[in-house]
Amino acid sequence: MLNQFVETMRDRFNRPIQYYADICVRCGSCADACHFYTVSQDPAHIPAQRMVLIKQALEASKAGNNKLADWYHELPHNDAVLAAQLEKALWDCTGCRRCAVFCPFDLDTGLLVGTARYAILKEGIGPEIIAEIGDSEVAKGEIIEFVKDFFLEQVSELEAQLQAEFHPDLTIPVGKEGADMLYVPLVGEHAIIPAAKIFFAAGENWTLSMFTATNHSYFVGDGAKSKQAAQWIVDEAKRLGVKAIVYPECGHASRTLFNYFESWFGDEIAGIERLNIVPLTYEYLKQGRIKIKPNLFDTPMTFHDSCSLGRSSGMYDEPRALIHAVATDFREMTPNRELNWCCGGGGGLIAAADEKFERRMEGGLPKVQQIRQTEAKWVVTACENCKAQLEDLNKHYELNIEIKGVIDLIADALIV
Amino acid sequence: METVEYILAYITPYLAVIILIGGLIYRLRNWFQKPPVTAHLSLYPRPESRLGRIADALVDMFTMRSVFRVNRLLWAGGFIMHVGLLLLFLGHIRTVTDFYFLWDLLGWGEEETHTFSAIAGMTAGLLFFIPLIYLFLRRWGGTIKVLSTPEDYFALVLLASIAITGLHMRLVLEVDQQAIREFMQGLFKFSWQPVPESAGVVFIWHFTLVQILMIYFPFGKLLHTVGAGLNKMVMRS
Repeated sequence: MLNQFVETMRDRFNRPIQYYADICVRCGSCADACHFYTVSQDPAHIPAQRMVLIKQALEASKAGNNKLADWYHELPHNDAVLAAQLEKALWDCTGCRRCAVFCPFDLDTGLLVGTARYAILKEGIGPEIIAEIGDSEVAKGEIIEFVKDFFLEQVSELEAQLQAEFHPDLTIPVGKEGADMLYVPLVGEHAIIPAAKIFFAAGENWTLSMFTATNHSYFVGDGAKSKQAAQWIVDEAKRLGVKAIVYPECGHASRTLFNYFESWFGDEIAGIERLNIVPLTYEYLKQGRIKIKPNLFDTPMTFHDSCSLGRSSGMYDEPRALIHAVATDFREMTPNRELNWCCGGGGGLIAAADEKFERRMEGGLPKVQQIRQTEAKWVVTACENCKAQLEDLNKHYELNIEIKGVIDLIADALIV
Repeated sequence: METVEYILAYITPYLAVIILIGGLIYRLRNWFQKPPVTAHLSLYPRPESRLGRIADALVDMFTMRSVFRVNRLLWAGGFIMHVGLLLLFLGHIRTVTDFYFLWDLLGWGEEETHTFSAIAGMTAGLLFFIPLIYLFLRRWGGTIKVLSTPEDYFALVLLASIAITGLHMRLVLEVDQQAIREFMQGLFKFSWQPVPESAGVVFIWHFTLVQILMIYFPFGKLLHTVGAGLNKMVMRS
């Protein structure tokens, strides 16, 4: 048992993971940083314990007859028990990297979990649905010609709707050669509507991508597929000759854009800027390209820092500046920014749907308490994943809040 | 008994040094043979410039800022222990040579340096030893007990034993500094001098435990001495 996990894991040990295996002193600083551990008190949820369990599996595979050595390496007596612990350790993690902030050596449990998920899926342990969604994203590029007409039809319907509701001159161009910005949406129109309004108001020469920014292969640590899913977007950007790729309000997708694109594509994307819609909107506002009704909202609202956008991409100030521009009653959560609690739904857990629902509700408790403390009515965030989780938390814990995107606020406040 | 003492005083020290250096080279090679991560794993906020990021990593490392933010007691224990260790490391330079220029500069004679080293040595030893007791005891309950592996206890017991034998020589015995210096210099020069008698069997214990530490060092978690800085730079790439 666990042979495939062990073999795959050995191959995938890279430098930071080897550092982790070798230098972690198990001081326990990370334990209280983890939303899953603080709520469940299950040892398998201690971030450093995730590495301990992986090491146990690796050691067990080469165990000899030396009882003392076996005891020293804490070899598991029972493979099934270890497998169950590993399942918890690797799948009940949102990859939020809050533990890395509290680690004296900055050891990255998020990276470890992503890498090990790929290996444990080989044993069939874990929600395979996440990997399957990832596969469908990879396959989309091959079938794009077949779904293209349907997509265009839907976009033109949406365009007509927005022309009626918002402005008669608004257009949603798809596949427009010579556009400056390629906006990559998410599944569903909610990510297109506010962006289309803002681009229109800014007079931007933009075009909509036929692909989606979400990258589920990234959640299961599958670098090759993750790159392939992103490749379609890069190819499209190059074909259209755009100056920039703009990602929507989605944490992990933006993380691939900011942190992985350069190492995946190198020269291929030289000269193409990589932007997120939130800082871009802030740029428009600063440059006066868009006009908004200032202080439009007096509802008490708070901002949730998405882990991927905050801790991992450094997007702290732009969303706050945008909220301040339109809101009169803004309240910070405590703690915030790099110390912010994870919503409990990241790392693909949202995609695992029912299978992880209870765990998500449990892991979201620190977030629920934070939100309650602010007594805010609106929770604004810039990540699709967080929004879905916050909606679930809202229903489950009856928070009576509304979840909003940062650019939703701006789109509603636009003067055109 | 004499044979054992002879081996521990004149033979194993060389083996320990060879294993320490060889082990370190082996481990560093093992690290650098692993593929680096080409993606940016940075944690934000981070300084813009490379120099700023190095400075940030150093400040983080020498103040243990991360632990301070989450657990003040653990921070106090860990930080004081490391300060004590650093002072002890500096102080032990005196077992081989001496800070002649410093004493000249201060105009201190033999008596003053002796008093100073007695006070400084005791302070550093206690700064090192007392937090070790805390770090050891905290592993016996709660979260940290589950997380602890046999190695964690071993490392603490080893360091504490070194501290106890060292403190014994410093506080209980009247040790002839010059004899120790001659013995140590003899090891370096391959012209062996007698084991300092004034420290008795405690010296051999202390000396042997340090050799065990040197042998264990490259193969255990104490390697964070080297790895922490390397990993911190990965996380500021």
